[in-house]
Amino acid sequence: MAATLNVMRHAFHAGLADYRAIFTWRSWLAGWYVRVLFQVGFFALIGERLGDDDKTYYLLVGNSMLIAGQLGVFSLNMTTAERWAGTLPLLVASPSSPVLVFSARGAYLAVDGALSALAALFVAGPIFGMDLPWPRVLAVIPVTLVIAAASYAFGTFLAGVVFRFRSVNSLVVVTTYVALMAACGVNVPLSYYPEPVELLSRVLPLTNGLLAIRDAFAGAPAAEIVGNTALEAAVALGWMIAALLSFNRLASRGRRDGSLDYGA
Amino acid sequence: MRGFLAGFLLELRVVRANPDALIPLLTAPLFAIIFLAIVRQSGRSDLEPDALLAPVLMSLWWIALVQAGSMITADRWQAVLEPVIAAPTSLASVLVGRIACLMSVGLLSFFEVWLAGWLIFGVSIPFEHPLELALTLVATALAMAGTAVAFAALFVMTRNAYTFINSASFPFYVLGGVLVPVAYLPDWIEPVSSLLFLSWSADLLRATLKEPAVDDFWSRLAMVLVLGAITFAIGRAVLFHVLRRMRAKGELATA
Repeated sequence: MAATLNVMRHAFHAGLADYRAIFTWRSWLAGWYVRVLFQVGFFALIGERLGDDDKTYYLLVGNSMLIAGQLGVFSLNMTTAERWAGTLPLLVASPSSPVLVFSARGAYLAVDGALSALAALFVAGPIFGMDLPWPRVLAVIPVTLVIAAASYAFGTFLAGVVFRFRSVNSLVVVTTYVALMAACGVNVPLSYYPEPVELLSRVLPLTNGLLAIRDAFAGAPAAEIVGNTALEAAVALGWMIAALLSFNRLASRGRRDGSLDYGA
Repeated sequence: MRGFLAGFLLELRVVRANPDALIPLLTAPLFAIIFLAIVRQSGRSDLEPDALLAPVLMSLWWIALVQAGSMITADRWQAVLEPVIAAPTSLASVLVGRIACLMSVGLLSFFEVWLAGWLIFGVSIPFEHPLELALTLVATALAMAGTAVAFAALFVMTRNAYTFINSASFPFYVLGGVLVPVAYLPDWIEPVSSLLFLSWSADLLRATLKEPAVDDFWSRLAMVLVLGAITFAIGRAVLFHVLRRMRAKGELATA
């Protein structure tokens, strides 16, 4: 157990070092955060065009939380990054399970996702005149963390699935996050979807957590908020278990047919 | 012309070998479904044509930014920039051919969103002014190609193009008014938007889908082309300068 935690700790620090090489605080704020604000603003403006304040706030909340989901899905990029760095075969050959490394190495994305989502909500909200009811709004913070964790677990599972098909990695990342935007109640209520889509969305990350956040804004009873948050946590757990069960098997297939190397 | 054709055919092969090139073609119908769901759920069927065309602009912008924009940088990483520059055919003709190919692929998104809207919601693109619509789409693709050259120049110059690529999508969708007209933005932003060909394209595309005659069509179309040409000229000049400096300093092959 100590060895496992040690591997995860080192992997997390390696991920942080990667992230620091990509972003400084200044480039995060002037680059990524500006994009996040405009992404949320883009959808909130649709509400303005519809001439409906409630719809504006609905879109604003949904698309702010989508940022947490989006960054969680970005964890898919981890395998491609390892491949480019030439460390993927080494990771698979090492005695530790690659899923331990991947789940810890990209964990900063879950943290960044939650931070970006909250920063978008708390800045874009007042810009569009949305009321952030105090202290009820504080409930949004832990729920956002659960959404980020669920999305990250989902991304890690997908990373295992596309492990051997890394040429489609970016395609899967972008399509998955837009699909979450389409199916998880981000822009229209779940009741708008056909029933099969609604059922599917309940096992995807973001859907249940977003319901909890909308409950918090609407002043729903605490039990309802906790119930939906618990469902989101269950979805997170489910996807992490799926990742743990599938990742090693998929990786070992790549080891057998030699498809893990840089040139493969 | 030979360089242009060679570049066009080369990029077709690159697209076939690179699934990432299909990203905008996969996301365009999804965005169309999202936008249509929003406007229909709010009972605003009058906005359905706008919801269908916004993803086309977003797809073309994505291609200009991500795929065409990073073309030179990718060539440099793959160590093919040196032989391309050493070849007797001009880099510009090959580059324009490759970008033209990508824009042609991007225009397929128009047919995709049309199909997605029809299959899922039974909504079609209203062809009120088909000639004006087609001309605006072509002018937009040309202006996008010009912008892609400017992006290519910018990305060769910067060490961290990733940050810019990652950040330059939604800000331009807002400033360019791809779905929500610029008139909904604060007044002080409007002068900035009016310098972007995207805002002229988006307004003109929306106008071609409405029943009334399109006001000042030719002058607005010319504005799209002029702004695209200015961006192209700046990008080409910067790219020429940067590549000449790289050749002088022997930096073509270094990252």
